[in-house]
Amino acid sequence: MQMRKVYNWQLGRNAAYVYPQHRPKKQWAMVFDLNKCISCQTCSLACKTTWTSGKGQEYMFWNNVETKPYGGYPMGWDRGILAKLGFQDWMGDKYAGKTLFEAAEKDEKILQHLAEDADWAHPNIGEDEVAATVNRGDWITMPHRIWMYYLPRTCAHCTYPACLSACPRKAIYKREEDGIVLIDQSRCRGYRECVRACPYKKSLFNVETRISEKCIGCYPKIEQGDMPQCVTNCIGKIRLHGYLSTPDKARKDNPIDYLVHERKLALPLYPQFGTEPNSYYIPPIHAPLPYLEQMFGPGAAQAVDTYKAIKDDQTLKGLLVLFGSLEKLLGSFKVDTNHAYGYDEKGNEAVKVPLTEPMYIRAYYDKKIKVYRHNTP
Amino acid sequence: MSGKMLFILFGIALVAAPVSAGEKKFVEFSSMRRNIDVSKVGLNDNVWKTAAPYKQPLQRQFLVDPKPADVGVKEVLVQSVHDGKYIAFRLVWKDAARNDNPKIMNFSDSAALQFPVKKEPLPEYFMGEPEKPVHILHWRAWRSADRKHGFQTVKTAYPNMVVDLYQFDYPVQGKGTEKTQAEKDIFIPGKAAGNPLSVPHKEIIEELSAEGSGTLKSMNIENTSGEAEWKNGEWIVVFRRPLAVDDPGSVRFKPGEKMPVAFAVWEGGRKESAGRKSVSPAWAEVKVEP
Repeated sequence: MQMRKVYNWQLGRNAAYVYPQHRPKKQWAMVFDLNKCISCQTCSLACKTTWTSGKGQEYMFWNNVETKPYGGYPMGWDRGILAKLGFQDWMGDKYAGKTLFEAAEKDEKILQHLAEDADWAHPNIGEDEVAATVNRGDWITMPHRIWMYYLPRTCAHCTYPACLSACPRKAIYKREEDGIVLIDQSRCRGYRECVRACPYKKSLFNVETRISEKCIGCYPKIEQGDMPQCVTNCIGKIRLHGYLSTPDKARKDNPIDYLVHERKLALPLYPQFGTEPNSYYIPPIHAPLPYLEQMFGPGAAQAVDTYKAIKDDQTLKGLLVLFGSLEKLLGSFKVDTNHAYGYDEKGNEAVKVPLTEPMYIRAYYDKKIKVYRHNTP
Repeated sequence: MSGKMLFILFGIALVAAPVSAGEKKFVEFSSMRRNIDVSKVGLNDNVWKTAAPYKQPLQRQFLVDPKPADVGVKEVLVQSVHDGKYIAFRLVWKDAARNDNPKIMNFSDSAALQFPVKKEPLPEYFMGEPEKPVHILHWRAWRSADRKHGFQTVKTAYPNMVVDLYQFDYPVQGKGTEKTQAEKDIFIPGKAAGNPLSVPHKEIIEELSAEGSGTLKSMNIENTSGEAEWKNGEWIVVFRRPLAVDDPGSVRFKPGEKMPVAFAVWEGGRKESAGRKSVSPAWAEVKVEP
């Protein structure tokens, strides 16, 4: 396959793609703080009840939460493709290995791992399984020897989507206005080339309709200036949604740009695949670094250090309390001594959150209703 | 387009394209005229014993990525008869396993006939070209099984799956349960979008048009009927249609004339679909006996 060269800033170099470089006017992006995710699956259910409650979508999760390292939906999706790609390396911030497009087999567009029926049948297999067994006398070290963490995932609305490039009939398109990647439900013919090609396995086949479906980025909400369902329903407030600029146009007051470009705290998921995914993760500080580097690239160590120092970092601390504080999409933010402020895309104040919640101390005995109060921390 | 591909196309052009003088060098077989009702001809009717089969070699699709490294079906036996009103094609090929039930990673056994809508100028044999459409008759085993057992659903595919409830479709009477089927179907995107793959059909053969690879379009007409049977590692499929119909996008056969035809077969068990298929290497021609 003759490939085009496109610039992939996550890899610090040009990389192969099926189509010429073209970026949308704005790019949908999501940030997840993995240190806070408790795998309550509220995001999965918010998505499911909104979008995939129909026949043929029973086991279909546009948003899922899996336990790393062993969990996965579909089973082994990442191990499968990583094993196929083989050992690859980075030279500093520049990717020195092959992307999935560059490693494509003869006559194929992209290197593929195929998930079989059984792999899709267990959406939350491996939940809470840890990476090692607990020995007698074990104590906790940093990073943890016995570790696991939760990885919530949606479609990453990639800048260079594998699904889009694989579709033989251009039934998949990336919206100019927000970068959301969609499968045209009237044009799809169920070939499953996208299901094969997407390395994140976020194109899914609906057996009832015999065509493929995927996360739609909650575009009806986005168009109203709201964040997606999985973000606004997150009870752990681990997510923030917004628009991401390219590094050269990054704005310090754009919350997503600040986290991804300015502070490099939120990192792309498996950037080495070469699709420039737009899901960004604040890595868990307790997991072993080699694993984090494999999953999030060479910036993992610095991101962990930055996160550990947040208590003395007014701006980051402020930005993190804005996570999950409102339904409206934030265009910019500001942090002062006591508060974090979020502004909508027109610059109007949309939310004001205290950095430290005020503390109220109430008397042990309530004389008015004659009861003792329990202090439940 | 790679240089290699151009070279292949050029090579095909040399072999298969109509030479300017109008003479064509296609492999040829006959559609034999028989005094029977071809509109009702069955899979194993005696008439097929009287029509010599044409052995069509197939090879992997080799023009558009992804190309399969190899394909399952390397040869299809083709027979054709007509009665002056209807024409039928009978295809027989070896396939060790029947694949006719939809699942997430199941692919349908499948076969297609392709004809030019207009013979002059003749479109590129592979899926036609812009302004030069081809008419495709596509049989899919999934549709045959649908006709036999009723439209196969997710419940047919996974009888043991667990589901709590469907929107507006739960057994408890109350708000929502009085919704119409169309209102319920809003939660089934392919149906709501009117995708032809997502709804049941009368015929097991879908009619499509194309003007180049990637442009395939369901025509939403059903003038071709058919039968299909898998037995002892072999598929037998019959396609039947009128020699000519009113539709301007459909193939028109005329007794005494030749019609270019191309073939494609998909072996579901090898996960063949779309461009991962066996194809005839160029146009062949069916000579419709006078």
